[in-house]
Amino acid sequence: MKRLLSALPALLLALAAPARANLSVTAETDRGTVEINGSVYLTVTVSGDSASVPEPKLPNMQNFNVYDSGRSQSISIINGRITTTVSFTYILTPRFLGLQRIPSISVFNGKEKAVTPEIEINVVKAGQPRQQAQPAGRPVRRPPPAAGRPQPAAAGAAADPIFIKAETDRRTAYPGEQIDLSVKFYTSVPLSSNPQYVPPSYKNLIAEDLPPVRNGETDIGGTRYAYSEIRTALFALSPGPAEVRPMTVEVQVPSGQPVDPFDPNFFQNMMAMTGGQGQTKDFHTEPIRLDIKPLPSPQPEDFSGAVGNYAVTASADRAEAKTGEAVNFSVAIAGSGNLKPVTAPKLPDLPDFKVFDTMSSLDIKKEGDVISGKKTFTYILVPRAAGRKTVPPVSFSFFDPRAGVYRTVKTDPVVLQVDKGEEGAKSVYFTPGQGQTSVTASGTDIRYVSDRANTPGLARVAAGIGALPLWAHVPPLVLLALAFWTARLNRFKSANPLLFRFRRARSEAFRDIEEARALIKAGKNNEAVSVIYDSFMDYLSDKCGEKVGALTMKKAADLVRARFPRASDRALDDIRELWAALELRHFSPEASAAEGTSDLAGKYELLIELLEKELRK
Amino acid sequence: MSLAKPLLLLLLLAAPAAAYDRSELAEFNDLYRTGRYEEALTGYRDIVAKEPEDPWGYYNAGNALFRLNRPGEAVLYYAKAFRLDPRSSDIRANLDFALRQTGQTLVPENVPAFLHYLYYFFSEAELKALAILLFWLACLAGTAGFLLDGSRPGLAAGRAAAAAAALMLLSLGWLEARRAASPFSEAGVVTKQGGTRMLSGPGENFKTYASAPEGRLVKILDAADDNYYEIGLPREGIKGWALKSDVTRI
Repeated sequence: MKRLLSALPALLLALAAPARANLSVTAETDRGTVEINGSVYLTVTVSGDSASVPEPKLPNMQNFNVYDSGRSQSISIINGRITTTVSFTYILTPRFLGLQRIPSISVFNGKEKAVTPEIEINVVKAGQPRQQAQPAGRPVRRPPPAAGRPQPAAAGAAADPIFIKAETDRRTAYPGEQIDLSVKFYTSVPLSSNPQYVPPSYKNLIAEDLPPVRNGETDIGGTRYAYSEIRTALFALSPGPAEVRPMTVEVQVPSGQPVDPFDPNFFQNMMAMTGGQGQTKDFHTEPIRLDIKPLPSPQPEDFSGAVGNYAVTASADRAEAKTGEAVNFSVAIAGSGNLKPVTAPKLPDLPDFKVFDTMSSLDIKKEGDVISGKKTFTYILVPRAAGRKTVPPVSFSFFDPRAGVYRTVKTDPVVLQVDKGEEGAKSVYFTPGQGQTSVTASGTDIRYVSDRANTPGLARVAAGIGALPLWAHVPPLVLLALAFWTARLNRFKSANPLLFRFRRARSEAFRDIEEARALIKAGKNNEAVSVIYDSFMDYLSDKCGEKVGALTMKKAADLVRARFPRASDRALDDIRELWAALELRHFSPEASAAEGTSDLAGKYELLIELLEKELRK
Repeated sequence: MSLAKPLLLLLLLAAPAAAYDRSELAEFNDLYRTGRYEEALTGYRDIVAKEPEDPWGYYNAGNALFRLNRPGEAVLYYAKAFRLDPRSSDIRANLDFALRQTGQTLVPENVPAFLHYLYYFFSEAELKALAILLFWLACLAGTAGFLLDGSRPGLAAGRAAAAAAALMLLSLGWLEARRAASPFSEAGVVTKQGGTRMLSGPGENFKTYASAPEGRLVKILDAADDNYYEIGLPREGIKGWALKSDVTRI
């Protein structure tokens, strides 16, 4: 018996709501009475005057397990007015006997709110137990062991009276490919109520319920178990690791005397128990890890991430139109796969039409544990000129995971006969009668969600710079300090040139001695003497801070004495002696033999060492 | 030149590429468009977990929360988006809209809107990055100035270093002023439905003497206690202690 509850609440809502309220919601079930091991279809229909309507917010229902069973959406555009109707279907499996209530279901679109009245469902006990369909929580009779036949030993998990098992049909998949998750709850003991399934959380996966719950019986290790199986379709979001995290089933196990599970009055006995006799227990599964493979490359140009097996069709809501009139052109993508993320195919260039906004509607089916359905994208086309106009084929590419290849399907071309319209029909107004009126703000609202998918470049760079470690900023500071020190040194050198000549005198003299010895070795004695003579004059000049070469020997000795009062007489005598010897050799080259020149270099070296000690400031 | 490659590498390491693709976002936006705000919110939260520097993840999550009639969390997410991209007109509009729903405004009364826009032109991350870049510029120009000491290019480099240092100090001052005075820095939002109680001390044994409504921006003055924040309401000039579970830091 089908209960339609929409008429009365709709009337009441229409009276209570403001005159311009356009959001409405109705709820109905396919039956008013259900057995404890059965299920009820709950359909919630939401209608609104915009392209999208909110999803109903289901209240917390402790007395039912709730499974999403799909949705269907329809959009109609009549005279520019959009009406959207979405039907959400849920499967409810009762947990307790007696009169159970489905509380009010509300929808809220940010401005308006609509609610449904409560629905009562009478949950009755099941008929005689059937061999094939046992509800979860139904206790199972243990068959007596056959005489003379050994009792098989319970193995692994089967040794436990209650356990839960989760498995997937595959461990590797492509992003968007359906992975079936099966969760089986086994019990060999009576339960105080139907178990409550707490869905797991997922990493890198999205989930779709695959109702209804399958119930049955099985024999594991000689023990008969009743089991309930909940199936879920999973779709990976991106390549890489994915995980089904542990899930939980809560059950109430009676702690008192066990009740015969196959007693015809089993549920009455169960209900007669007081709440204190039940004991809540949680059972958990192990996490399941999946490996998601990347989609192969290269990808078709118009590939937008759709995975599955689809066909595409195109149609217009009329075959004949006039210029300036709106034509609804629909592209429907139908097949198996997760249609939710499928985006609108790009229309080919349509020079004969103006193309307005796209709207989409989605119908999802879950037959045979396969997620399938149809997603329809509706474009508003307005013909620009009269004549026979053709909308070329629209192509759509998807990845077929079974074959492991990309496929591209195309629609047939759609032909429209366009007649010349009236002058006034050249513009399209989606709200008739408002074309000539001025814009009037009727309210304010938040702005729509953004489809920008990445962090802005400036923010990314700023975050990168801000995340640099502190030590990364030390090098410029070190460079600055080094440059500062170098500049200071250079300035000091410029301000004190004699000081640096005084300090450098010894090293330059020794360099000259080395040069002179090399010349002697090469047999160039005259050049060697010249080098030693010039070096000696430069040395004395650097030490005294005056050009000594222009002075006589006596004046030079006096200068040394004046600059360095503590210089010994021996040092001055050595200076005079070397000076005289060098002048002799320098100005009489014929007197300079190799042996004598070498002695001069030696004497000069010894004198430098002596003067370094004597000529101190 | 030898420093350029390691620095670029550091920047690339510090700024990872987008951790999600457009089809995921399209799916979540599709959920939002069809009114499945709770599922869309889960997706948007995944996005901000993967890419915490993306202001649009926070913005979209704020929208979903606003539709779910959770103004406190909506303000929180819009404020996070605003801190990351204060120039976006969409983010500013929705933050202002959500704040007005809770009796607040983005632009304080008596403050010209353009001055407020100018004050928040850069995000705090951008100001910090700007100060760091100016520090580098000042150091490198100063180095060139010292090395070319006494020459005309050296003088120009020295002037550039001084200008960069002055701008760096200005941006640091701006950043510190923002951190000290902005209602979005060192701040939190009351996210508990129905608001939070403000106690005179960090514990239930202290007297309740004020309450802060849901969605209210508060300054977090002290977070040392395990369970309580010391919060301040600058407009009212009062402060008190609120449970950390009731107030979420921006």
